[in-house]
Amino acid sequence: MKTSTHDPASATEVVAEAPPAGGGAVWIPLLRLVGALVVPLVGFFALWATFDFLRDENANRGLVVGVAIVVGVGGVFFLFWAMDRLVSLLPARYREGVRPYVFVGPGLVILSVFLVYPVINTILISFKDARSESFVGLDNFKFVFTDESMLRSIRNTAGWIIVVPLFGVSIGLAFATLADRLRRGEAVAKSMIFLPMAISFAGASITWKLIYAFRPEGFGTNIGLLNGIMLGLGQQPVPWLQEQPWNNLFLMVIMIWMQTGFAMVVLSAAIKSIPDEIIEAARIDGASELQVFRRIMIPSILPTIVVVTTYMVINALKVFDIVFVVGSAETNGTEVIAERMIRWFFISANDGRAAAIAVVLFLAIIPVMIWNVRRFREQEATR
Amino acid sequence: MGMRRFRLVVLPAVLLFVAAACGGDGGDEGGGGGEDTGTVNVLSALEPEEAAVLNGIIGDLINPNVDYTAEVEASADFEEQVQIRAEGGTLDIILLPQPGAVVDQAASGNAVALEDMGFDIADLQATFGEYFLSLGEYQGKHYGIPTNINLKSMVWYPKDDFDKAGYTVPTTWDEMIALSNQIKADGGTPWCVGYESGGATGWPATDWMEDIMLATAGQDVYTQWVKHEIPFNDPAVVNAGQLFGDIMFAPGYVLGGADQTPAIAFGDAPGPMFDDPPKCWLHRQASFITAFFPPEAEAGVDYDWFPFPAIDQQGTLFAGELAVVFRDAPEVKDFLTRFMAEDVQCAMGSEPGSSRISPNVNVGPDCYPNPILAGASEVLTAGLSGGTAGFDASDQMPPAVGSGSFWTGMVEYMQDGPSSLNSVLDSIEKSWPAS
Repeated sequence: MKTSTHDPASATEVVAEAPPAGGGAVWIPLLRLVGALVVPLVGFFALWATFDFLRDENANRGLVVGVAIVVGVGGVFFLFWAMDRLVSLLPARYREGVRPYVFVGPGLVILSVFLVYPVINTILISFKDARSESFVGLDNFKFVFTDESMLRSIRNTAGWIIVVPLFGVSIGLAFATLADRLRRGEAVAKSMIFLPMAISFAGASITWKLIYAFRPEGFGTNIGLLNGIMLGLGQQPVPWLQEQPWNNLFLMVIMIWMQTGFAMVVLSAAIKSIPDEIIEAARIDGASELQVFRRIMIPSILPTIVVVTTYMVINALKVFDIVFVVGSAETNGTEVIAERMIRWFFISANDGRAAAIAVVLFLAIIPVMIWNVRRFREQEATR
Repeated sequence: MGMRRFRLVVLPAVLLFVAAACGGDGGDEGGGGGEDTGTVNVLSALEPEEAAVLNGIIGDLINPNVDYTAEVEASADFEEQVQIRAEGGTLDIILLPQPGAVVDQAASGNAVALEDMGFDIADLQATFGEYFLSLGEYQGKHYGIPTNINLKSMVWYPKDDFDKAGYTVPTTWDEMIALSNQIKADGGTPWCVGYESGGATGWPATDWMEDIMLATAGQDVYTQWVKHEIPFNDPAVVNAGQLFGDIMFAPGYVLGGADQTPAIAFGDAPGPMFDDPPKCWLHRQASFITAFFPPEAEAGVDYDWFPFPAIDQQGTLFAGELAVVFRDAPEVKDFLTRFMAEDVQCAMGSEPGSSRISPNVNVGPDCYPNPILAGASEVLTAGLSGGTAGFDASDQMPPAVGSGSFWTGMVEYMQDGPSSLNSVLDSIEKSWPAS
C-alpha cells in the first residue's frame, strides 16, 4: 500500500496525482468503477434488506437490536474484508490502482445519497408547486425576489453577513491583542469571552430574549435587564424586539456575543505564533505600538483573519435559530433567508417555495466556499 | 500499519452502519395488524396526565363490560407515530385536534369512513350537531367523530371589583361598548389585550376576528370565509375588521394602546385585571387562560366570565378534537359508541384532573363540578345544536394563511391603525395559496 492512505480523501489525491503504471487501460477504470460504486451499493442494499427483514419480525425487541448490531457492524466489516480479498486476487499490476477506490467507494455512495441527491432533488422541487406535484416554471423564484417578506429577509441577511463578522472579528482581535499583554489572568479573561461559545444558539437566544424582555406600563414589573436599566435611568421601557429596524441589530448582538470568543481564541493563537524577534526588532527600530499592530501583527495573521471571517460569514448566512426563537420574525421584520425556508417548508407547507429559497441560499454560499477553498489552497502551497 | 489499516476500515464501516441503521429505522411496537386483536388502541397527542384520566374512566366503565381491552396512548412524537403505524396497519383510532388533519388522513386513504363502519350519520348529527360533524367530511363521507371541545368566545372580568363598581354583564355588542365607555368615564381602562406569542404572534387577534365574524355574518358565511368561497377582503370581513378596530383603536379603550398589543405576551395580558384597583376590566380569551391568572385568584369570586356577546346574532367560537378510525372492526365501532355515550362523557367531565368538555350535546352542564366548565358546556351545547357555532377559522385555513399571513396581517392592523384595514385584508387575500 502507498504510504499516505491514512484517510480516504488523501487516498484519492495520491492516486489522482500518480496514475498507476502498466497497461490495462480498459480494465482499470472499469474495475475502479465496480470497486468504488457497485460493490458498496450492493453491500448497502443487502444491509438495508436485512434491517427491513428484522424490523418486520415479531421477535423480542432487544434481541432484534442485538442481531441488528451484529449484522450491521459485522456485515460492514465483512464487506471491507471481502473487497480487500477480492482486490488481492487481481493481477499485481491492477491491484494498487483499484484498492483505494474500493475503500473510498462507501464514502462516495454515502456522499451521493445524502448530499448530491438531495441537492439535485431540491433544485427540481424548486421548480414545482406547493405539493411538488407539477412544474410551475420560475414562479417560486419570482416569489423569492418579489415577496415583501422575502426581500426583507434578503436585506436582513445581507446585514447579518456584514455586521456580524465585522464586529465579531474586530472585537475578537482587540481582545486577543489586549489579552496577550496581560501579565496575569489571560486564561481567565479569555475563558470568560469564550464561554458563550459553549451555549447553544437556542439557549443563548432565550437568555437574550429575557435581557430584551418588555412589558408596557401596567402589565407588571419589567423583568428585562435592559428595561430595568432604562427604568433605573428614569426612562420609559422600550419594546426592544419590536423596534424596527434596530431589532435586527439587537439580534445580531446575540451572534456577535457568541462568536467573538471563537474569533478571539483563533486569532490569539495566530498572534502568539508571530516570532517574538520580528516584533522586538520593530520596537527597537522605534515603531510605536500602533505601528507594530498595524504593520506587523495584522499582516502576519491576515490568513487567519480571512478564515475566521469566512467562517462567520457562512454562519451568518445560515442563521436561523436566533431569529426563530426570539420572536415572530414576520411581525417584527427580522426575517432571514434560512428562517424563511423553514417557515415555508414546515409551517406554510409550500415545498416549492421553500426549495427555491434553499437554492438561493445555496447559491449565495457557493462563492464564499470557493473563495475559502482557494485561500486554503494558497496557504497550503506557501507552506 | 496495522492500526492505520484498522482505522481505514472502521471509519467507512461506521458510516455505512449508521446509514443502514437510519434506512432501517422506525418504531415497531405492538403486533401485526390482524383483524381481531382483542384490543382497541387510541393514539393521541394528549398530555400523559390527561391520557391517564381517560384510561382510568375507560378501565372503569368500558373494559369490564366488553371482550376487548381499550387503551389511550399519549405519544410525544404523535405525527411520526401516526405515519409509521398507519403504514404498518397497527393503528385503530387517533385523536386529532385539527379538522384539516382529519381531511388529510381521509385523502391519504388510510382512514375509514364512518358510513363504511356502519355508523348512523343522522344519529351522530343529532349527538354532535351537524356543523361539528361536517368538519371531518371528505368527498361526501364523514371521517371524524368529535371527542372534545373547548370554548373560545369568553370575556373575563374581575368579578368582585366589577360588582362593587356596579357594572353589569353585557349581552349585546352595544351593551359591551356602553360598558367600555362607562369604565372609561369612571377613570378606568376597559380592555387588556396582548398578542405576543413568539413565532405565533398575532393568533389571539385572529380569535377576535373570528368571534366577530361569527357574530356578524353567521355560520354559513363564516364557513365560506374559511373555505375561501368568499375572498378574505369580502365586505363581511371588512365589516368584522372595522368592529374589531372600534374596540382596539378607540382612545383609552386598550391598556397601553393597540400598537403595543403585539409586544405584550398573551399570558401577561390579563395580569392588570387583578391589580387593586383593576388596571383593566375586560379580557377576551379562551378557557385555558385561567392557567395564567394569579394562583391565588379564585373563580367566581375574583374573576368570572361571560360569553362573547351577540352582534347581529349569537356566535360561539370553539376548538376541539376529532377521532379518526383506521381499522374497520366491530370492536372499534363498539368502543367509539360506548366512549361517546353520555355516561362515559359525563364521568369524564366530573374528573377534577381533566378540563375536557363533551361535544355530545346530551351531556348536560350538571356533569361538570367546575362552574367554568359547566357554563362553557352550556354555551357550547347551545351553539352546536343551534347552528351558531364555528370552529377556529385560522386552524382550518391553509397554513400559509391560518398560521401565517392572518396572524401577521392582524399585527400590522394593530400597528398601522384603522386606515390600514383594507390593505391588510387585500394582502391576506393575495397570500391565499392557489389550489
